[in-house]
Amino acid sequence: MITECSPSDQEMVLNYFKERFGIQRQLFNGFSFYSASKGRIYIGPKNLIEKPKPVTGGILIARISRYIKPTTIFLQLFGKDVTKNTIRLNKEHTICYTQGEDLDLTGNEIQDASNGYILVTYLGFSLGCGLLKGNYVKNLIPKPKRLDLEFL
Amino acid sequence: MKPMVPDQFKERYGQIVDDQDAFFSSLLQQLPKTFRVNTLKASKQIVKERFEEYGIDLKQVPWYSDAFVLQNYAIGNTLENFLGYIYIQELTSMLPPLILQLQAELQHSEFILDGCAAPGSKTTQLAALMKNHGTIIANDIDYNRIRALKFNIEKTGSLNVIITNRDLRLFEKGNNSFDIILVDAPCSSEGTIRKNPTMLSKWFNQKKRISGYANLQQQLINKAFNLLKPEGCLVYSTCTFAPEENEGVINWLLERHPATIEQIDIPRMKLSPGILEWNGKVFNSEIKKTVRIWPHHNDTDGFFIAKVRK
Repeated sequence: MITECSPSDQEMVLNYFKERFGIQRQLFNGFSFYSASKGRIYIGPKNLIEKPKPVTGGILIARISRYIKPTTIFLQLFGKDVTKNTIRLNKEHTICYTQGEDLDLTGNEIQDASNGYILVTYLGFSLGCGLLKGNYVKNLIPKPKRLDLEFL
Repeated sequence: MKPMVPDQFKERYGQIVDDQDAFFSSLLQQLPKTFRVNTLKASKQIVKERFEEYGIDLKQVPWYSDAFVLQNYAIGNTLENFLGYIYIQELTSMLPPLILQLQAELQHSEFILDGCAAPGSKTTQLAALMKNHGTIIANDIDYNRIRALKFNIEKTGSLNVIITNRDLRLFEKGNNSFDIILVDAPCSSEGTIRKNPTMLSKWFNQKKRISGYANLQQQLINKAFNLLKPEGCLVYSTCTFAPEENEGVINWLLERHPATIEQIDIPRMKLSPGILEWNGKVFNSEIKKTVRIWPHHNDTDGFFIAKVRK
């Protein structure tokens, strides 16, 4: 079940998106932020209904725990607005990544991305979220979304 | 064993279809693969270019420019499907939201209910047509199917959708009053025979099953009509040929509520009017404004739609 997000959590998430990915907060004008259990944060429509109780509203954009963890679906949707901490994969790596494999990269793909959560791209398409540590990218594509790509 | 159209089926529907041979033989033909471009994430141009690069031949659907048909390709394994740029969906399932768009119902509608929403094909199409403005309540009775609904809402980036998990018949009126309600009702699904040809071998006199569904559908449409704003619009649809679940349900509504039926027009698509008599029962003449989609007319599933005004 979702409830209105607290202003402090909303600020924290918006600041993180701006600092880590360069995503401007104005993009979310017209939407509201909601919270659910386990630190989950959603953006959804302004108007909620009281009854029946909503299960979710909009899409899951991040989880707040010790860190703020953006979701793959959020970065897929707003990837074109990301200005930093992006890595670019080649075709072979993209096939592995969309299957759910972690990657050990040579370094060229990483460019100026720093350790932490990153946007993973292929030919400018936003594939989703990864966790960069040195040259290693931990795969954060949720299991149900993984695919064996034949056409890319 | 090769599926065959049972005699009882032929007898039942032969009397209301225009071309029996074409209809019965269409049921044995495989349904082409179809998808629509998710315009919340991608343009038609990008998708067309990408598929061209793959060497996959796309044919645009003449009556819906966001929809495409293709033969024999595993489009589930394309990057575009992974990214949510396309949504694999039967053509007939695209009709209820399309009608609302064609007849300019979505422009001034802020609050929409998709009463039987899972797995979310129509919900996410509506979100795309509304460009994520307004609010769509996507409701489904089945908690297990909510998972698929949620998955598709997230995949398509449908930000204006709220999910509820309620039996539509018990949906609280409260302050809720909707501009538009979609009821894509649970039904005997005879229209999906092309996708599931084994249905034909299991098809026998369905009387009991059909009357069970018709009873449920009456309760659903009754509740939906009560949840509508005055002047609100209700789109009722099923994927069955059974008149008891289609024209019969609309006739039942007209006998109990001050509802009016509106004409449906989809340019470049062949539509048949709803029938006015079945098994000796004569229906309200307004029902000719409802629409039957026969599989042999547009190379699709079978479908029924009614547009109701409060």
